[in-house]
Amino acid sequence: MAIYQDSIRVQDCFGTLHKRAGPSPPAVSFPVGRAAYSLGLTASNGVERQGLPERGNQGQRRQRRAVEPRTERMTVDQDWTAVYPTAASFKPNSVPLPVRMGYPVKRGVPPAKKGNLELIKIPNFLHLTPEAIKKHCEALKPFCTEWPAALDSDAKCEEHFPIQVESKAYVSAGPSLRNPNARIITLTVKLSSLNLDEHARKKLIRLSGERYNKDTDTLTITTDSCPMKQQNYDYAMYLLTVLYHESWKTEAWEKEKTRADMEEYVWEDSPSQKNILETLLRMRPLGEKEEEGEVREELLGRVEVQEYKDSVTKLKNEGETETNMQQYKEAVKKLLNI
Amino acid sequence: FLHLRGHKTLRKHCTEKYHNITTWTSKLCLFFPISTQTCHTELHAGQYYTLPPAHMRTLFPHGLPPRFQMQMKTFNEACVMVRQPALELITCLRKADYSEPALRYVLYGEKGCGKTLSLCHVLHFCSTQGWLVLHIPDAHLWVKNCRELLPSSSRPGRFDQPIQALNWLKNFKTTNEHFLSKIKTTQRYVWTKRESTEEGRPLGELVDQGVSRVKSSSDVVGALLRELRLQAGGAAEGAFRLAVAVDGVNALWGKTTLKKEDKSEVLPEELTLIHNLRKMLRNDWCGGAILTTLSQTGSLFKPRSAYLPMELLGEEGFDNMDPFVPIPVSNYSDKEFESCYLYYLDRNWLQHPHSRTEDGKKELIFLSSRNPSILERLCAFL
Repeated sequence: MAIYQDSIRVQDCFGTLHKRAGPSPPAVSFPVGRAAYSLGLTASNGVERQGLPERGNQGQRRQRRAVEPRTERMTVDQDWTAVYPTAASFKPNSVPLPVRMGYPVKRGVPPAKKGNLELIKIPNFLHLTPEAIKKHCEALKPFCTEWPAALDSDAKCEEHFPIQVESKAYVSAGPSLRNPNARIITLTVKLSSLNLDEHARKKLIRLSGERYNKDTDTLTITTDSCPMKQQNYDYAMYLLTVLYHESWKTEAWEKEKTRADMEEYVWEDSPSQKNILETLLRMRPLGEKEEEGEVREELLGRVEVQEYKDSVTKLKNEGETETNMQQYKEAVKKLLNI
Repeated sequence: FLHLRGHKTLRKHCTEKYHNITTWTSKLCLFFPISTQTCHTELHAGQYYTLPPAHMRTLFPHGLPPRFQMQMKTFNEACVMVRQPALELITCLRKADYSEPALRYVLYGEKGCGKTLSLCHVLHFCSTQGWLVLHIPDAHLWVKNCRELLPSSSRPGRFDQPIQALNWLKNFKTTNEHFLSKIKTTQRYVWTKRESTEEGRPLGELVDQGVSRVKSSSDVVGALLRELRLQAGGAAEGAFRLAVAVDGVNALWGKTTLKKEDKSEVLPEELTLIHNLRKMLRNDWCGGAILTTLSQTGSLFKPRSAYLPMELLGEEGFDNMDPFVPIPVSNYSDKEFESCYLYYLDRNWLQHPHSRTEDGKKELIFLSSRNPSILERLCAFL
């Protein structure tokens, strides 16, 4: 009985293989019932599950036959956009890359892609290759107008269109077409393109607070308080207008600005200036005919004092470094005749 | 004169035992006596010179760093390396015009670079030149850990620190014994109803008053500073030059950890000692120099990595000290490191056999990154 079963098994394998490949083999008669169950048995499965088909006959489980993965039939110059036309999860049999992902087993390597849940969980951008994006652009081109030929550099765009407004539109299939995130408007403008004097510029920066970026000199206004995009855009333009006009006005209480409020260090009327004037006056006491005001002016006009002033301003504004300290040292030495 | 102490035998000894050391040159590790100190120049940079013990006891009862004091005790001598920052200061002091307002010098640098020791070197130079040395060893000690804080008797808003003032007066007396009889007071000072110091009395009496009557010692310090300020560099026959040396000057403009009885913080201005010292550091007097060091080690509420003047002095401190000459003190250069290494070898301080090889020396350079204090601590283990 065992021998008979073995021979049936081999024949089963051959039977299935031949069925797929081409012309049918010389007919081997075996019981019909068996034929129905032997369809779709893979070569490996046949060895393991020898016992089961006999027992699981009642369940009539159909097992798929092994199919060669699609990657085997892919050529190098195939059209990838056909494989992944839309966003889809990672299919190991469709992606011809030997990707490994996950924590490696002990003294081993990260698990392969077949049956790898980690690769399926993460988002992938296989549907957004440059080819695919080119195709998207081509599809959108009929709906667009020509880019103006005169604006061929960033500088020209900046010059003619200093205010840049960004908004996002969302397209998705779902129960509703609307997306509340589409109402957000971001308005960016460079302060150098606005007509501001020193006082207005400082006031504008102070009023805008966190919205101003010192490194790139841009003011960014983001509005999302209104429900519609148009309303948010109007609000952003209104805010910009108000900031601009308010910064040009000078209030009565702005006269009370103290040294502590200043944005950067100013040497005039600072303790440093007083100290150096006192020291110099002590070194060269006032003559009889000289007036204090004139002497002050004369002292302040000296080259060494100007150098000293530069070095102190640099120290305070730019922070301390070895080079700044060296400069300060040289200036002091020259001033005090060391 | 350069007195080569057993130089030839030392060299032979070294070439026999430590044949790995090929950098032994005659320039390094020369010892010369104190009389040549006034002619320290750039040529002597990197070499060690010995301070006579008698000077050490009088001049530095309280000024030296504690590890250096231990080293002094171990080696039975005080050997200081001549380094560039100290040389720069000494040249400036020599060239300065003392009829003009006092110049301020600030030594700054990373932790353990040798600021305090450079200051002591310069003070030693000043004392050999006959100056009066006013040395505050560590201003941080006056703004923290004070057990007794008395409200001042003379001024209502201020606080006295009797113990600190007493200690300092005692040390000042030791340092400047010979000046105390020569200088006279210019004003009458009233301490209590029964005690006062008349005009024209020698300063020694003022100091004794402070030492004996502990309660008024802070005011005595104030009076002393005032007297010295008025009389330094005068045209009179008893004219002297004053060197004000403050170690850890950033304590004067920082915060204190002292608290009043109602648990509110004491500001530095409210302490008599600090207030008087601040007046001293202003450059409205002539005939001397103000030498200061910044120190992060004892400072309060300053991060470990801060060492630049503006970071440690703060806005207020910088505005008060301005204009000053900042003098950076850095780690040992190659030559200085060689010199220090050979000095330790010569003193048999490096016992470990591996430390005497070239490899050992490279290891020491790497481990200490040529920082003087770290090198000293490392060699103490070897």
